[in-house]
Amino acid sequence: MRYTLFVLVLFLFSSCQEEVVLPLGSKEELIPTIEAFWTDQGTYNEVRISLSKDYYDSLQTEIIRDAEVMITIPGTDKVIPFQFLPGLNTYRPINPLERAVVGQRYQLNVKWGENIYQSEGVMLEAPILDSLTWQFEEERIFREEGYYIKVYGKVPFEEDNNYRIRVIENDTLKNQRDDYLLFDDTFGLQFFEQGLELGYAFEENDRVRLELFRLNRDAYDYLNELVNLLFNDGGLFSPPPQNPTTNIRVVQGKPEVLGYFMVSPVLVRTVVIQAKYD
Amino acid sequence: MSVRQGYSPIQMPLLSVFRVITFWISFTFCLGFSFGQNAPKIRGEVFDAVSSQPLIGANVYWEGNTASGVVTGLDGDFEIISVTFPAKLVISYIGYERSVRVIQAKDGEKGLRFFLKPEEMSLEEIIIQERRPDEQIKNLEMGKASVPIETIKNIPALFGEVDLFRSLQLLPGVQTAGEGTTGLFVRGGSADQNLVQLDGAPVYNASHFFGIFSVFNPDALSKVDLYKGNMPASFGGRASSLIDVSLQEGNRNQIHGQGGIGTISSRLTLDGPLFGKNSSFIVSGRRTYADLFLKLSRDENLRNNKLNFYDLSGRFSFFLGERDKLSFSIYEGSDFLGLDDQFGLGWNNWVNSVNWNRVNSETSFFDLQAYYSRYQYIVDINDPENGFEWTNRLSESGIKANWIRVLSDKSTINWGIHSQFYQFSPVDLAPDPESGIGEIVTNPKNGLLNNLFFGLNQNFSPRLSMEAGLRWGLYTQVGEGVEYSYPDDRPERDGEIGTESFDAWEPMQFYQGLEPRLAFRYLIDEQFSVKAAYNRNFQYVQIATNSSAGLPIDRWMLADRYTRPIQSDQISLGLFRNFDNNRWELSVEGYYKDLRNVIDLRNGAQVLFTDQVETEVLSGDGWAYGVETLLRKNTGKTTGWLSYTWSRTWRQIEGVSLNQKYNPRFDRPHDVTLVLNHEFNPRWSAGLTFVYTSGLAVTFPVGSYVVDNQNVPLYPELRNLDRFPDYHRMDASITWRNADKGRKWKGSWNFSVYNLYGRKNPFAYEFRDIYNNDINFNPSEDGDIISSRPGVVMTYLFTVLPSITYNFQF
Repeated sequence: MRYTLFVLVLFLFSSCQEEVVLPLGSKEELIPTIEAFWTDQGTYNEVRISLSKDYYDSLQTEIIRDAEVMITIPGTDKVIPFQFLPGLNTYRPINPLERAVVGQRYQLNVKWGENIYQSEGVMLEAPILDSLTWQFEEERIFREEGYYIKVYGKVPFEEDNNYRIRVIENDTLKNQRDDYLLFDDTFGLQFFEQGLELGYAFEENDRVRLELFRLNRDAYDYLNELVNLLFNDGGLFSPPPQNPTTNIRVVQGKPEVLGYFMVSPVLVRTVVIQAKYD
Repeated sequence: MSVRQGYSPIQMPLLSVFRVITFWISFTFCLGFSFGQNAPKIRGEVFDAVSSQPLIGANVYWEGNTASGVVTGLDGDFEIISVTFPAKLVISYIGYERSVRVIQAKDGEKGLRFFLKPEEMSLEEIIIQERRPDEQIKNLEMGKASVPIETIKNIPALFGEVDLFRSLQLLPGVQTAGEGTTGLFVRGGSADQNLVQLDGAPVYNASHFFGIFSVFNPDALSKVDLYKGNMPASFGGRASSLIDVSLQEGNRNQIHGQGGIGTISSRLTLDGPLFGKNSSFIVSGRRTYADLFLKLSRDENLRNNKLNFYDLSGRFSFFLGERDKLSFSIYEGSDFLGLDDQFGLGWNNWVNSVNWNRVNSETSFFDLQAYYSRYQYIVDINDPENGFEWTNRLSESGIKANWIRVLSDKSTINWGIHSQFYQFSPVDLAPDPESGIGEIVTNPKNGLLNNLFFGLNQNFSPRLSMEAGLRWGLYTQVGEGVEYSYPDDRPERDGEIGTESFDAWEPMQFYQGLEPRLAFRYLIDEQFSVKAAYNRNFQYVQIATNSSAGLPIDRWMLADRYTRPIQSDQISLGLFRNFDNNRWELSVEGYYKDLRNVIDLRNGAQVLFTDQVETEVLSGDGWAYGVETLLRKNTGKTTGWLSYTWSRTWRQIEGVSLNQKYNPRFDRPHDVTLVLNHEFNPRWSAGLTFVYTSGLAVTFPVGSYVVDNQNVPLYPELRNLDRFPDYHRMDASITWRNADKGRKWKGSWNFSVYNLYGRKNPFAYEFRDIYNNDINFNPSEDGDIISSRPGVVMTYLFTVLPSITYNFQF
């Protein structure tokens, strides 16, 4: 980070920053945000629905609790109903044993008042996640000193290679904008076989949980656009800011909806960083 | 600025518009032609006594018989019909002392050489412009601005670095997209719609340091002409403007030098004779030394970083007899950013051209030009596991022939051909041997553009003149290359249904278009004229970007099956009035510009590595209109200009802003500029600049929402309905010169302050969560988050930035 700041300072010379209060507009009506996850592991399967808020509003977002949520399989009578769990503020399958099956196409259906929303996704086969290793590294460019984890795996697919890795460090999800790890096959996938280094410096005895997702392209694009937006500083070098392109469509009702629907297999590995392994 | 320096080689009338010069030459030669070509003649040359530069367009006549006069040619030469000797020959030139010499019959046997001294005018009479005082009234040009290099040098500069483009931004009709950048947005056109050319060769990335400085070292330049759309038919290829930059020509008598030592860079220019009196050279170099300061750091990491740019330019001229002149121009400029030998980003322009100017006869001229311009960049990641070297290159080669014929004292025509070959190399990402990253190679893009052009200058009466032109562009995208097919010819990601490969030079796609240009001038009186113009341009290359500032790695696109050439149509009307014996100029110009096939990018577009960039691009229309007012004072102790522009710029592109019209970022309705230079005495002078513009058109959030555990700003679907606060800034400079004691070495100190009153003009607003009430708190490094709230963080640049520069000449 020190390098990044150094470069930034050199680029911008005597730049300065300060907090300001700008008069901002607001939406006449708040927009529903849907985050839906349908995976092959029950604990990940949920639908979160909330409302947008005014920008300066620092209160919690308002949760929508009265929506009808279900996942169906197009072309069949299969319906997987969800129910709202007040303690978790999320919708979960009524039957917790229901989960995604490889090769199956699923449709998300959300009805809230007069509004109906839909989205679809295909459950893809999971790649192979072989092992995790870690090693102590000296400070490098864009990398601080610390233990770095390498993920070894194999991707035997010719298409639909859109992946996300989430990292939970000592029960804390790493979810700063720098923490997103998204990759596709633009640069090939050999690096995954040779060992993909996670860009986080860990300390000894850190408990690290890694989750690997294989996404449909539209969900992957959504997350990519989300990360781009989080990095958009409104300056000359940034594109005009736009909301990420949702893969949820409005079937009926008010025309705006936010969020995305993800159908994905999940691979999980957990390690505890120990110096003796190094 | 001393009076003598006021007539330095940079300012000479040599540097006035080539077409006008040739017209003068032609006109006078035409008169001379009627005397008969076989009469005995006296030959000679006319030079500036200070710089030894040839004076083009000087009047030469026998005393008492001005009708016999001629004007000097391209290399300051003349031929005049002999009279009964002895007789007095008079040489006169605006801004120079008149020379009268008694000529004997024997003098006709040898060539005469005249050295004119700049007039020792009073300070009130200093003329800081290179053109005729009434030129804006008499010429046919609209939307054209010629800024003397000496004027540019007197404008207070950021870091003391005199910058060509930043000076052009002070002209009406030219907008900037942000603080400190050199990108030009001319009459609603985007930055890639400007053709920047150096001695006729295009420069593809005309900026250093990510756009903070332009690539031209002002010491090496003789002039810059900005055409805001209404360009002659012999020029074309870009939709919005032509920035025609010319290198100086070295003097042919003795070695001269000039340079400067500045806050962040130093420069040196040498010029003089090359091989005797018939050839000359000028070479100029500039280099920054930020990385030299880094080496003084105690931190080893900082010591190993590199950050620099340099540019080198040169021009070599050869006078081949009385009728021919050959010149070679070369430019190379590079930037490099290196971090600890692990990351490197460099980019480089290499531009060269050869120009042959021939005077066939007193009424016929010919210019031939060939050029090659190459731009390339490299990104090098030196990492044992994920290292790679990513390079890309594009080039343009061209040849242009232009014939000029003076038909009468009322008509001049020119015609010619201009062929351009574009080669956009494939993206080449080569992994290091042990790297896990896969190789990326895309397909090349090539285009061949042949243009035929014809122009006519016609004076219908002393009051009414016309300039008409027609340019016909014939563009073919040619192989080697690959073309993708899509359902219904609508490119979509992962939607290709086939590919077709083309061999080298095999036609892939063809476009053609006529580009008419028409301008009228009506002279109401000697101090007042009205002009109107219409101009069409086609542009076959553009940058696939939707950010406002150019980056070294920008992806250039050629017109192809899916991307049509940009079409630009502009009409303009202007009133031009001079006052007080041409000491004051006032102009009011209105324009309307229509743009077709401009591009934007899809949300989340990935254009750098894809071979199907057409799937990332959206296309639509644009339009702009405005009124530009300029009041300019050209003579006296105080010179400068005050301008006010009201303008609007719009785009309408399917897939952007709900398909509704929107303002691009650089739409700034109100723009006021004040530029002042004042000479206190020969040793002290000062400059002052004030800029006031409407804020940039931007999009602010209208709320926020939570997704993926992130608090995300919610943006409206309509683009750029918000504005930054209005921008204003004042810069000032003062120059002190050593007393002129007749020494060859002359030095001066320039002290300048950018943003004199420390206005915090926003560079960016970032909408993000602020942790622990500290905008600099970084949860990854600074510990636990105690509080979090949404906030707005403003970044601003360059408040009260002083700099000092030592300039010298010898």
